[in-house]
Amino acid sequence: MTATTAPEAALGVLPRSDGSAKYSHAGYTVTASVNGPIEAQRRDEHAYEAHVDVIVRPAAGVGGTRERHLEALLQASLSQLILVKNFPRSLIQIVLQVEDSPENDYVNTKLVQASLNFAIMPALMQTAVLALLSAGVPMRATATATAVAVVHQDGAKRTIVEPSPREIETAESVHALAFTSHGGLLLAESEGDFTVKEWDDLYETAKGICCRSAPAKEGMAMVLDDEESAGTDMRQFLRSTMESKVAADLHWK
Amino acid sequence: MATERPLVLPGETIDPSLIPSHPKNPLRLGPGLRHIPPTDIVPTVAGQLITNPAKNSMWIEYNSNRYIPSPNDVLLAQILRSTTDFYLCTISPHTAPATLPHLAFESATKKTRPVLLPGQLVYARVTLANKHMDPELECVSATTGKAEGLGPITGPGCVFDVSLGFARRLLMARSREDGGVGVLEMLGGEEGGGLAFETAVGRNGKVWVGSESARTVVLVGRALQETDRGGLGVEGQRRLVKRLVREMR
Amino acid sequence: MPREAEPSLNERQFVAQAIQENLRLDGRELDQYRPLELTFGDQYGVADVTLGKTRVLAKATAEVTVPYADRPLDGIFTIATELSPMTSPAFEVNRPTETEVLLSRLLEKTVRRSGALDTESLCLVAGQKCWSVRVDVHVLSHDGNLIDAACAAVVAALRHFRKPDTSMEGGLLTVYTPAEREPVPLSWLHSPFCVTWSFFGEEGEMAVLDATWIEEQVRVGSCTVSLNKHGEICQIAKLGGTPVEAVALLQCTSVALAKVKEFSDLLDTRLAEDLKRRDKGGFMAELRAENDR
Repeated sequence: MTATTAPEAALGVLPRSDGSAKYSHAGYTVTASVNGPIEAQRRDEHAYEAHVDVIVRPAAGVGGTRERHLEALLQASLSQLILVKNFPRSLIQIVLQVEDSPENDYVNTKLVQASLNFAIMPALMQTAVLALLSAGVPMRATATATAVAVVHQDGAKRTIVEPSPREIETAESVHALAFTSHGGLLLAESEGDFTVKEWDDLYETAKGICCRSAPAKEGMAMVLDDEESAGTDMRQFLRSTMESKVAADLHWK
Repeated sequence: MATERPLVLPGETIDPSLIPSHPKNPLRLGPGLRHIPPTDIVPTVAGQLITNPAKNSMWIEYNSNRYIPSPNDVLLAQILRSTTDFYLCTISPHTAPATLPHLAFESATKKTRPVLLPGQLVYARVTLANKHMDPELECVSATTGKAEGLGPITGPGCVFDVSLGFARRLLMARSREDGGVGVLEMLGGEEGGGLAFETAVGRNGKVWVGSESARTVVLVGRALQETDRGGLGVEGQRRLVKRLVREMR
Repeated sequence: MPREAEPSLNERQFVAQAIQENLRLDGRELDQYRPLELTFGDQYGVADVTLGKTRVLAKATAEVTVPYADRPLDGIFTIATELSPMTSPAFEVNRPTETEVLLSRLLEKTVRRSGALDTESLCLVAGQKCWSVRVDVHVLSHDGNLIDAACAAVVAALRHFRKPDTSMEGGLLTVYTPAEREPVPLSWLHSPFCVTWSFFGEEGEMAVLDATWIEEQVRVGSCTVSLNKHGEICQIAKLGGTPVEAVALLQCTSVALAKVKEFSDLLDTRLAEDLKRRDKGGFMAELRAENDR
């Protein structure tokens, strides 16, 4: 069981792809490779923009509908980030390989049919963004993501950031949210029962984690205060990761 | 230094004080920046923002692996096949082929045109690069009609892959001073014991190293790749060259 | 469809000629492997093998299922090899290439058919319940010699793997979760490894170990020998290519044995290190001592 650990990332881990990243956070480890722009297959070719191909591969077992669903969600979000108009008729291929996901020690899982849930979404999204940055694919903005669960505990509702599999099992609803570096909501996927009020609350929580250094911070300083310890500052993390990569690349300057 | 070359991420706002403002020259945007009318200049890649007030230009310095053609770049292309009027060449793996007209060689005419086999390497210049069209290459200078070093690469030698940033540093006019790479000079100079070799550096991240001695080719290639991957400084390169020369003897 | 990039004519000629002079592009000896690195994940049964720029990840998993009708006393053991576009954009999802088929067949022969894993021990209730052990092989980066790297990864993953503990009481089968009882290792009989030779030259007279991707494109033939550290050969595969002298092949096998001994030692050391890492403060040892009584 993993507690909330600090995210870790390494860029350029796969020497033969254009860009790659390995990211681990909250028990999830994902490796991503990015290749592109490359020649698109006829069926994927768009006359005016690049096709973004996202492939999610589970660590064990064959991918199924859940993986295809995650792929579709990621593809829609990442196509918004990448400047697809710069590379017409080409393909930008992102392969996300799940290496490790936190295990629930209290249940023996069936693994031949892999089933990923929304809690892995932030890890996938974050790895994809890091790999795209490492490949130098032109983008409109960067993105940060987090997962939040609402649990019913001692008669009161409580939001948990980066829930563990155990918590997900007991949670009333699980949400994955991603924000662009401009503070816009990029992706919001929810599972379970929840009220509009709950969603508003967890939206603020997630935004606090993903966009802490955002200029729009003043308005929600109150919310941030009590959440300060709950999660890591994803945006700062992204920045420091890139800082070391760029510094290493441009040591000669 | 750090304040002059800030790190930027895609979509970040650039401090207006950093944007050079020259009274007369128009502002020139280099790689990694895009202009969103009317006034926004936004980075699209992660890298260091470099500004040159004298030329009123700014760009993002970054390193990558995927070559995107741009006019006047010299590169190492590989013949894929020949059609009636031109050769199709591969510039980087898995991308659409570039065209190299049969007549774009020195003193080539309809009757005397070079015969190149599939797989043959050519050192060529990009004449046309446009996101909507396949790139076009030439092996002759359009102004002088001379090859000027371009053309098919023959003789024993091998190609080594390096990162795009490193290829660009190798191509700099003063690569040791501006780019911090002296590894080739050292190999040919006293550190390397005066090895005899020739190179052709392509902007697409490929370096051809030719020499009569296969040992020299391997040595030079390894020195280049290790300098690139290890991110070695000039002093590190000197040590590397000495070590490799000792090992390969 | 993006096709696989091919080495240029110049490169082909150079590589072939350099090998005749006992020279390789990365400065290795002809019978020298690239540094083999082996790491284990946080979970049981995850092994990551790096061989130069080639990187393979294997993950072993187990679940309880019904045995095959014709083999009621055996558990099920499968190795799944699927090359994703991560390996190279030339690979497509759900469209196996020759490389992939050859790789999975060789792994199957080496690990499964050589009886490295005792499948009978996977049987829980004859004809009704058994363990199904599955290894997923993920090729993250391909710079030649996939077979040797993948085989090492599969063997390492299986040796590292722990399946949930079970007990039988009065015809009632209980599978314990990791929280209830410490998972148990598989019953492992021997550790086979693959050693692939690539042949160069007109008559395949130059034999080279651990070929890189470009060397694989230029070679005239290859031969994979699978054996364990006791010198027991599980299989030899020489699929087409230039014929090679039988004596040369014998020579290759004896060198392969030396390499396999190295791999076995490396794996044993890494497994011991990993056990020590997991066993912080001797807590596990204490638990185990109690279980023994």
